[in-house]
Formats: sequence, structure tokens, C-alpha cells
Amino acid sequence: MAVSFDYVVKETAANLWRNRVMALAAVLTVAVSLSLVGTALLLRQVVNRQIGQWSNNVSLQIFMNANATPQQLSEVKVLISQEPQITKCTYLNHQASYLQAKQVLSGEQTAFQALTPAITPTLFRCQLQNANDAPAVASIFAGAPGVYGGQAQYPQKSIRTMQRITNILQVVLLVIAIVLLISSLVLILNAIRMAIFARRREVSVMKLVGATNWFIRIPFILEGLVQGLIGAIVAAGVVLLSNIGVNYLVRHYLSSSTIPVSQLIVTEVVVVLIGVVVGVLGSIIAVRRFLDV
Amino acid sequence: MIRIDNVTKSYIAGIDALSGLSLEIDRGEFVFLVGASGSGKTTFLKLLLREETPDAGSIWVAGRDIGRLAPARIPYLRRNLGCVFQDFRLLPNKTVAENVAFALEVIGQSRAVIQTQVTQVLDLVGLGQKMDRRPHELSGGEQQRVAIARAFVNRPLVLLADEPTGNLDPATSSGIMKLLERINKTGTTVLMATHDVGIVDEMRRRVIQLEHGHLVRDQARGIYGDASETQSRSVSSITVGTVPLDEDAELDLMPHRPVRARRGHR
Ligand SMILES: Nc1ncnc2c1ncn2[C@@H]1O[C@H](COP(=O)(O)OP(=O)(O)OP(=O)(O)O)[C@@H](O)[C@H]1O
Ligand SMILES: [Mg+2]
Repeated sequence: MAVSFDYVVKETAANLWRNRVMALAAVLTVAVSLSLVGTALLLRQVVNRQIGQWSNNVSLQIFMNANATPQQLSEVKVLISQEPQITKCTYLNHQASYLQAKQVLSGEQTAFQALTPAITPTLFRCQLQNANDAPAVASIFAGAPGVYGGQAQYPQKSIRTMQRITNILQVVLLVIAIVLLISSLVLILNAIRMAIFARRREVSVMKLVGATNWFIRIPFILEGLVQGLIGAIVAAGVVLLSNIGVNYLVRHYLSSSTIPVSQLIVTEVVVVLIGVVVGVLGSIIAVRRFLDV
Repeated sequence: MIRIDNVTKSYIAGIDALSGLSLEIDRGEFVFLVGASGSGKTTFLKLLLREETPDAGSIWVAGRDIGRLAPARIPYLRRNLGCVFQDFRLLPNKTVAENVAFALEVIGQSRAVIQTQVTQVLDLVGLGQKMDRRPHELSGGEQQRVAIARAFVNRPLVLLADEPTGNLDPATSSGIMKLLERINKTGTTVLMATHDVGIVDEMRRRVIQLEHGHLVRDQARGIYGDASETQSRSVSSITVGTVPLDEDAELDLMPHRPVRARRGHR
């Protein structure tokens, strides 16, 4: 099929221009929905990285009463050494524990002011082979003498809660993004339908003089592709800005490292591909339904 | 060139737009298709273009049974059939030259071919000087010339015309007829549906008359009205064979049609 490149480019550009209001609406919806998709993907990476870090750093913390006797301490040490799940343990004495508390409570002056090294519980900070076994391992220390509150603490619980919340958030974002993507598909479909209607005379002449079906269809499909692509490129720009914002937040409020460039590139590629797919799909549906060839 | 075997077509069950139609048109003939409104003339032309398919019977164009043509081949069939209508069907936002060029552009012709062919055909129809006008700046007769140029620019085997003079005054119409005759002289078969009594009577060409979808008259040098005294080809004498005649002009259904004057390709 000898579809001339000049012809296709010329026709597609002319169509887009003639139909610019509809095209703009379609492009903007694609841009908004894909910005959302891209940003959600970035946030997901941040949350996963942070959670991963938290669960690697500390799996189990055993706080000891501030007035625990050396006898009680060594009993707990024995328990720790007997547990094969525990791979590493560091003991934070009063001073070290106080310094950590100072860091954790830095935002809350009043709470911190009441604290002195002497009354700060000391603690064993342990790593487990598998952070998910934390509840089982923690049960060993239940009721052991001198253990603060009678039980070991594991952040897994709060991490789980956090994971659940972020999962829900992600689902909500995904649903919004899908709804918006479907709207952009419909808008592109409609824009192409209008283009087909605007060019019905040309189409009928083309059929009359023997243009092949694909020759007639390709400019319309390309028009949808261009709309999806432009929207996606705008979204890619927005995602780039989101990345700067997300990295700023990570640097200032979280302990994990920022999103690596390779991950960012993957995200951008995904965004652009989705845009192209939405554009082509919308126009193919329009062409099949409304272009009678 | 064209052979119709016992063709029946109905749009609405029970009412035949064409019924049991059989006829043959040779290469280079000039044929008028006459009959009252609704007698099936346009339907006949649409069947030839494969815009419609017959309910029964077969249609041969240049040795091909076009009823059995795969849908993907239909565009290539149409490249062999030029088409002109009462309402011209020009594209209003294109110039005369662009309108004609469009027909070559959309079948993938190279720019060099388009340029030479368009100039040539516009000279043929006498609009060489008005190439850059738009359709609304032309008279009806001139617009029809552009339409004929567009139909003929690809040098089709057959030119189909559905009431091409329907919107034109007699003087302009006779100009259009001169042009169609000229095209016919190049060897192109011309089939023209018309209500124009004056033209048919004056030209004395073969006349095929339909009535309620039936062939009622096929006359070698006929006039518009029924004239039983003239040398009439008896309808019943038309033999319906199975071997299509006139194989000399092969219908070209290949994607890359070698067009005369084709130089270079993309
Ligand atoms: N698309 C259609 N759907 C239903 N009936 C149709 C359709 N096209 C044509 N017909 C019917 O088929 C018959 C033949 O119509 P056709 O258009 O072939 O007549 P015609 O000879 O071209 O008439 P005219 O001289 O007025 O152009 C008419 O009865 C018409 O109503
Ligand atoms: Mg008609």
C-alpha cells in the first residue's frame, strides 16, 4: 500500500487544526489522567522503599525497664542468643537510648523535657531473618522479667497498618485514574468521530476513486495517536515536576533514598505508552464505528 | 467489457429495484440508460461499482465476476471505473487542480505523475486556465467538467455518469456531451443514465431502457422515447452465455497499477 508520508502528515495536521477545540479537550484529559497515574506510580515507589527500609532496619525492639537489674538484662540476653531467628542485636544503654529518644521526640519539647538518661528505658534492637516472624519471636519475651511493658515491640504492626492505608490510597488513585483514562478515551473517540463527520465528503470521494480502506483510515488513527501522545508528553512533564516534589519530601521527612533516575525513566515510558494506547484505541473504535468504508 | 447475467436486486423484500436483468456492453461503446424515475438506473450503476451487491445473478466487468470480489479488492475495481454525478461532488475547499489531484493522491500516485496527469486532463476538459479556482467560482458546466476530469484522470476503462447534465441548461449540456464523446473516442466505454430527451435523440447511440427494474428496450441507435420502428435489438435475442467475452482489456486489481507516464515511485 503506497500511503505517501507527505499526504498522511498533511491530512493529520489539517484535521487536528480543523478540530482543535475537541482535540484540545481530549489532549487535556489525557494529560490530567496520565499525570495522576504517573504521580501515583512515583508515590508507590516511595512508600515501598520507605517501608522496605523500616522493616530491614529494625524488626524487633525489646525495651528494658529503666531500673532493670543486670541479672534481668543477662537473662534477656540469653533468650536473644537462643533464638535462631535473631540475626543481630545491638544494646542501647541509657545514654544511647536517651539520644535516640531525643531524636524521635525532637518535635515534642514538653515530652522530651521530662526525660533524663537515668529514667530512659534501655533497649535491645534486633534484626530478624524474616521481619514477618516478628510476632512469633516477640512472644518469647512476653512476661520475661525486666522487659518494659512485659512484651517486645515490633514495628511490623504499624508498618502493616501503613501498608494497608497506602494500598487503599493506591486503589483510590488507580480508580480515579482509570475513570479519567476512560473519559479521555471517550473524548478522543468523539474528537475522531467529529473529524470523520467533518470529512465525510472527502471520504466519499476517496471511496469513489478507489482509495483503499487503510488509506482512508490511517490519517484518523494517526490523529488519535497524536492526541494521546501530546497529552502523554504533557503528563510526562508533570510527572517530572512531581518527582522533584516527591524527592524533596523524601529528603526532608523520610529516611529512604530518593527515587533513582532509572525508575523515573521507566515511569515516564509507562506514562507515554499508556497515552499512545489510549489514543490509538479511541481512534480505532471511532473509525470502526463511524467510518463506513 | 460489461456483462450482466440475470441480475436481481431488491432493497426491500418483495420489491425488485432490478429484476432478471441481462445485457452486455462492449468495449468502447457509448450507452444511454433511460427510464422513468425509480426504474433502477442508479441501482444498476451502483451494482457496477460494487456499492451494492446483487441478490441473484452475476456481473462481469472486463472478465471479472465482481459479485465475488473480496472486499479488499473493491478499491482496485473502482480505479478502473470513473464516476460522474448530477451534483458534481467536488470538494469545496480545494481548487480545481487539487480536486483532480486528490483522486490520484489517495490511490498513492507520485507527485510527478499527479502533476503531469492533472495538467493534461484539465487541458482536455478545457479548464487549463482555471486550475486555481475553487468550485464556487465556477459555473455548473465548469464544475461538471472538473468532475469529469477527476473521473477520467486515472484513465478508467469505463466512465459511469448518473444524470451528468441534470443540473445544466441545454447549451452547457451539449458541451458536456461533446466532452463525453471525446472521452469515448479514446476507447473508454461510457455508460450514462439520463432523462435528457434532447441529448439522447440527437446523439443516436445505443439506448437501454428500464421499467420497474426490467429491461424493456435495447436499441442500437435509439432515441429517448419508445420508437418501435427503429432497428431494435430484440431483448429476447440477447444470448446469455457463460463465457465472458471481451477479455482484451483486463481489469487490473493489483495494488500497484502501472499507470501510463509513471516515472519514479515512492
Ligand atoms: N437505498 C435504498 N433503499 C431502499 N430502496 C431503494 C434504495 N435505493 C433505491 N431504492 C429503490 O429502488 C428503486 C430504484 O431506484 P433507483 O435509484 O435505481 O432509480 P433511478 O432509475 O435511478 O431513478 P431516478 O431517475 O429518479 O434517479 C426505487 O423504487 C427506489 O425507491
Ligand atoms: Mg437515479
